[in-house]
Amino acid sequence: MEAARRFIVRQGEVATPVEVLADGRVRVGGQDGVFTVTALGSGEYVVSGGGATWRVAVAGPPDARWVGCEGVSACVDVQPEGLPREMRARGVAGGLSAPMPGTVIDVAVGVGQQVRAGDLLLTLEAMKMELPIRAPRDGTVSAVRCAPGELVQPGPLLVEIT
Amino acid sequence: MISKVLVANRGEIALRVVRACDELGIATVAVYSDADAAAPHVLAAGQAVRIGLPPPAESYLCMERIIEAARATGADAIHPGYGFLAENHAFASACEDAGLIFIGPPPSAIAAMGSKISARRLMDAARVPIVPGETPADQSDAAIEAAARRAGFPLLIKAAAGGGGKGMRLVRREADLAAALSGARHEAAVAFGDGTLYVERLITRPRHVEIQVFADAHGGAVHLFERDCSVQRRHQKVIEESPSPALTPALRSQMGEAAVAAARAVGYRNAGTIEFLLEGEGDAARFYFLEMNTRLQVEHPVTEAVTAVDLVHAQLRVAAGGRLPWTQQALQQRGHAIECRVYAEDPSAGYLPQAGRIALYRPPERPGVRIDAGVVEGSEVPVHYDPMIAKVIAHAETRETAIERMRAALSEFRILGLPTNIAFLLAVLESPAFRAGAIDTAYLDGEGAGLAAPLTLPPAALAAAVAHGQTPVAAAAIGGERAPDDPWTSLAGWRG
Repeated sequence: MEAARRFIVRQGEVATPVEVLADGRVRVGGQDGVFTVTALGSGEYVVSGGGATWRVAVAGPPDARWVGCEGVSACVDVQPEGLPREMRARGVAGGLSAPMPGTVIDVAVGVGQQVRAGDLLLTLEAMKMELPIRAPRDGTVSAVRCAPGELVQPGPLLVEIT
Repeated sequence: MISKVLVANRGEIALRVVRACDELGIATVAVYSDADAAAPHVLAAGQAVRIGLPPPAESYLCMERIIEAARATGADAIHPGYGFLAENHAFASACEDAGLIFIGPPPSAIAAMGSKISARRLMDAARVPIVPGETPADQSDAAIEAAARRAGFPLLIKAAAGGGGKGMRLVRREADLAAALSGARHEAAVAFGDGTLYVERLITRPRHVEIQVFADAHGGAVHLFERDCSVQRRHQKVIEESPSPALTPALRSQMGEAAVAAARAVGYRNAGTIEFLLEGEGDAARFYFLEMNTRLQVEHPVTEAVTAVDLVHAQLRVAAGGRLPWTQQALQQRGHAIECRVYAEDPSAGYLPQAGRIALYRPPERPGVRIDAGVVEGSEVPVHYDPMIAKVIAHAETRETAIERMRAALSEFRILGLPTNIAFLLAVLESPAFRAGAIDTAYLDGEGAGLAAPLTLPPAALAAAVAHGQTPVAAAAIGGERAPDDPWTSLAGWRG
């Protein structure tokens, strides 16, 4: 099967088209530039283009891909172009999974409940702080997969909204 | 003699102490909570004892279990590290009662310095400068006004009976004194049922300059110069350095002498730090006792870099009854050292501490750079403890070179899997205020609050984000200009 050649990379609200060209080089954005990417192994890369060179480190799956370069690091979402974006919370503030391991101290919604973007879904306690988890969009709560007192980890969806 | 040390801590400081013991031929025992069963400090120690559940109160703060672990393993001394039980005089006493050497000061010194009021009184008696202020015995307006004039302006009027800002007034000029006085007295009386007032000079925009001290049981006491910890956010130290850009040689020696006098005044033993507030500039600057930290500090490597000593080795020797390994004359400050604390925290979300798995961890390797870390690639940063990942210490001949070395080291420090403050640290290092050595303790929360960490990845980074995890064929293709049999390319394909 032919690998996808065009991707959308999302960092927060910013989506950037990235295209792997026929010669293997990578074009980022409409006109940002064309780069040669050389893998050094173990998630480390040398990227060159326009006369400059960067060292880049990468780890994690496409939907939670951590990228570090020159002291800046961020979690991005890499998807083939044209695929609808899966509802995922990790790396996106106010999502549906725990941003860090924590204890559920309150579940504010029940199955079948209508919610609006920004509504409080549940409250976690982590590192002696309360963290509100809010709905990322309008919808109906179709599942609640946690209960007060439960220790939860990042990743699994705690609440599903359809 | 100490033959086996139990390290009552976790993370980088536990590892630091275990390594120092190894170097001196002393056996080690680690303790761990369930969150740390596979932590580097546990693997590094000769023995390890589980002491309980992840919450600190059920493990690292549990005195009985730690002392029992020492007994069970035949340890003859306990090193408390910093934090947890390090400044708990009851724990130091409990160690002594159990026949264990507490590697730190006597319990009496911890207790004396643990109370702000008793510490202030002791320091005043030892002629260590304290922030001018008093609680006048005569509480008449005239007597309090006289006390205020002795303390100087600007000053704070506070309720002697309580805190929380009730009954507190900031008085900038003598002309405002009378009005502030009656307001404060009324508020204090209402809030605490006691209108007794206390006046204290307000030190505006101080720097935080602390002196490392060390004393032995044979009457020896020295200082190991200063650390400037003025770069703070919400009273948390972010960057420390030595020498301080603010100290003149005359002031440095005055502060060193005052710090040694402070240590002697409480019968101090082992490593400690006298924290001072520094006000003003040049030889005219004045310093005031803030508090004493009766333990090894997080930032001790800064002192080790500029003085070429090993403070943990010295702690072990002095705790075993030995003499200080250095005289005051033998100690010198050479070059410039800076420490940056790398935290798992999200600068874009109000510096919220972060926990999670470190998916990729590649520390920098450079001459003059030391990394003290308690994690490895794949480690979990647990939700229960301080989110510090590592300390980066850069040492060079000059401050300018040390800053450049630190910038390079931080830029090369790759930690992925959770947000860190590295970009923020770089922004501080690059700020004109830090370059000029002009940051005071209020800076980062004031005009420096806008020092934003750049959070946007360069386009080149997005190219690698897409290339990562491609099939071997695609990865080879993305290798671009390199030939298919190039070892780098095939290695990349093989390792994914």
